[in-house]
Amino acid sequence: MGTTLIIENVRKRYAEVEALADVSLQIQAGEFFTLLGPSGCGKTTLLRCVAGFLRLDAGRILCNGERLDTLPAHTRDIGMVFQNYAIFPHLTVFENVSYGLRARRVAPEELRRRTVEALRLVQMESLADRRPDQLSGGQQQRVALARAMAIRPRLLLMDEPLSNLDAKLRVEMRTEIRRLQKELGITTIYVTHDQEEALAISERLAVMNAGRVEQVGSPWDVYLAPRSAFVAQFIGASNALTGTLVGTEGDWAQVQIGAWVLRGRGIHGLSARALVVFRPESLELLSEGGDCPGATVGEGVVVNREFLGAILRYRLRLVDGSLIHLDEHKPDPASLRKEGERVRFAVRPGDVMLFPAESSP
Amino acid sequence: MNCEAKGVMRRRVDVWSGVTGIAFALLLVLLIIPLGRLLWASLLGDDGGFTLKYYREFLAYPYYSRTIGHSFLVSGLVTLCALVVAIPVAFLIARVDIPGKTVLKSLAILPLVSPPFIGAYSWILLFGRAGYITTLLQKAGITIPTVYGMHGIVLALGLNLYPFVLLMVAGALQALDQSLEEAAQGLGSSPWRVFWTVTVPVTMPSTLGGAMLVFLTAFAEFGAPMIIGEGYQVLPTIVYSLFVNEMGGNPAMASTGATLLVLCTTGILLVQYWVVGRKRYAMTQLRPIPPVRPGPLLRGLLTTYGYLVVVLSLVPALVVAVTSFFESRGPVLYPNFSLGNYQEVLFNVPRAIANSFVLSTASTLLDVVLGTLIAYLVVRRRSAITAALDSCVMIPYAIPGTVVGVAYIVAFNKPPIVLTGTFLILLLAYFIRRLPYSVRAGSAILHQIDPSVEEASISLGVSPLRSFAKVTARLMLPGIVSGGILTWVQTITEISATIFLYFGAWSTITVVIYRQVSSSNFGSAAAASTILLVAVFIPILLVNWAMGERAVTAV
Repeated sequence: MGTTLIIENVRKRYAEVEALADVSLQIQAGEFFTLLGPSGCGKTTLLRCVAGFLRLDAGRILCNGERLDTLPAHTRDIGMVFQNYAIFPHLTVFENVSYGLRARRVAPEELRRRTVEALRLVQMESLADRRPDQLSGGQQQRVALARAMAIRPRLLLMDEPLSNLDAKLRVEMRTEIRRLQKELGITTIYVTHDQEEALAISERLAVMNAGRVEQVGSPWDVYLAPRSAFVAQFIGASNALTGTLVGTEGDWAQVQIGAWVLRGRGIHGLSARALVVFRPESLELLSEGGDCPGATVGEGVVVNREFLGAILRYRLRLVDGSLIHLDEHKPDPASLRKEGERVRFAVRPGDVMLFPAESSP
Repeated sequence: MNCEAKGVMRRRVDVWSGVTGIAFALLLVLLIIPLGRLLWASLLGDDGGFTLKYYREFLAYPYYSRTIGHSFLVSGLVTLCALVVAIPVAFLIARVDIPGKTVLKSLAILPLVSPPFIGAYSWILLFGRAGYITTLLQKAGITIPTVYGMHGIVLALGLNLYPFVLLMVAGALQALDQSLEEAAQGLGSSPWRVFWTVTVPVTMPSTLGGAMLVFLTAFAEFGAPMIIGEGYQVLPTIVYSLFVNEMGGNPAMASTGATLLVLCTTGILLVQYWVVGRKRYAMTQLRPIPPVRPGPLLRGLLTTYGYLVVVLSLVPALVVAVTSFFESRGPVLYPNFSLGNYQEVLFNVPRAIANSFVLSTASTLLDVVLGTLIAYLVVRRRSAITAALDSCVMIPYAIPGTVVGVAYIVAFNKPPIVLTGTFLILLLAYFIRRLPYSVRAGSAILHQIDPSVEEASISLGVSPLRSFAKVTARLMLPGIVSGGILTWVQTITEISATIFLYFGAWSTITVVIYRQVSSSNFGSAAAASTILLVAVFIPILLVNWAMGERAVTAV
């Protein structure tokens, strides 16, 4: 039986900055929910409001239907994992993990049992007597996790918990965190600015920008059907060009960039100018005289190319002078395009996203 | 994170609002009101009206006015001395491979905590009218000029204060990254040019910082000029003379002198902020510069030089310690081993020794408790109010002990608050004078503690106040303890305010030393001084040993 969390019209202002401007979210019981956004978007502020370290200016937070935002932080029964782990440096691993149980006056035997259990969950039981300064970053991370889970909190909050680890460990730990969360069925809010991490780990995520929620959805939703230009450009790599609207038919629209006219999915609110967004991997290089039925064909000159192993990334200059990326998967050394070479490429209308131009960030 | 830390308990009136209130109230009663009274006393005519006649008088009579010039001259010369003595040693420690650096550095700290008046007294023992060396030379038919007067003050203070410069310059040199000088050499500079265009400018802020600290300390110094200056009066000593002469009469002239003194020290501090100010070069050090290892001859010479300087500055302590075991009759000392001086001190003034320990321990505890709380407020609960508190709490730093002494007498010798003649006046004076140091020590360590550690404790279910006690305060402990020991050491050696405020039974060990020296009881003065030096050196060496270099830079 997990916890549901409802965030209703929450506002928070610092002296000059509107950190949270009317944020509402509903998080399901047992869900792994991520707040994703660039630094300063309000994601950490929102997390700290839930934790109780910040007061709301307006709005409510409900936990299983009961007011949470009016409770003092130490009575909220929320586990939190901090960006820098916030391990108590003067206590051993065991003492760190049992800290919250001690505060709850758990009987010694049970305290011991639950601490060991939490340590076993993160595979740290053999290091129970270590001091924090004898631990690696990843181990400290595990202690922080065990400490937050040992109190069996209603809610687990994680504030960029992996940002201080190296790339390889980061990937390992995120899998581990997800496994634990699933195992315990604990409702979790996870904050990160790393979109790849967010896509990999979340059941649902909220993309935040400038104190607002831009879109809530599954990783597939926000990647494949971004609802704003910001989301389209923040998640994954994107090409963004500005064009003039030349015609619409139902959900589809035609946009002209220089001499190039291309079709795309038209979203509501398009005016004369439109922002055209398509992903590098949705472009396909065409061979000499080749064609691609149903797709829009464009032309450009190769400015340079980067071999990244799995993909070969071309930078192309379009006729109107703008630059775009084109990713070729499973690149073939035999069919390399040279710098300065004129190339043709195809893009399917379904992969072209159109947004009102003024909403570009 | 900073702006976020304050939100937690904002709306409620909590313990921290109480602490803020108490801190402001204490600063008002113990600092602002006495200073206001002091100013008032210097501006109040006999007829009860406003007058500037005391200032006119003070500035018109050379007997008074020249002391201002004397103070600046002496402080300037002391600073110069300190720079000349300290910079080469700093280079030795930072750059040359000489044996026993750690010992050298530890020893160099000791002069800083030994009170300058003991230094002055010791130079009198050596070079005074009946000094050991003076007498020795006289027997050989050589007469040397006496040590009394300006050059005596400069000698005593210069050798006492040079470690300020030494530690700061050595610290700056050691913080230099190797790549910086290599980069300059790579760009085609000769080593000499690198020194002048890179090393000197980059370490200049620290050098100036050390120099200004020496200047300010010398300017505010009372004990050494009083003991060795004789006719050569500086501002703090003339204030004392005026005060003693007019005891029971109108202390207006003393107040005037004290006001001028505090104006000077405030001015010096402002200049210091302006000169040194924010001009610190942040340095990310990857590789320290490896020390050079000169040839054996040069190495020997340099090592000798380094130790010579440090040992020379410890001569006063040694001379005093040796003297304390001599037989004595007034100013005449006989080189026979005897414990008579200790007997005399311990039998005649045990109370004074006990007072010193009790008063400095009590005031240090007060400082540590309030200083820690204020540091927490200032660092973790930033607001306009705590920023104001931060500034106010630093005021005592600019106020010489002499000024505190006069101001407290003026302020607390008549209702509504009468404290003169009680131990409380000493306790409060000590407390307020050293409060800035405790706040500094507390905030320095607090800056190194991540706020989220405390938040972690709160989120685990421990109330904010208990989280502060269990986590933050606990983690601050090393900084608090070493700061407290420094405070204690500075307090037990206090003379400049004490000399005004002590009364009868509430005499202290420093007053005893001063009075014994004044009445030429050199033997018991030496014994009392030795007791004080031992009391001061042992904790400092312990802190230094436990904390490494960080402890000292907080002085």
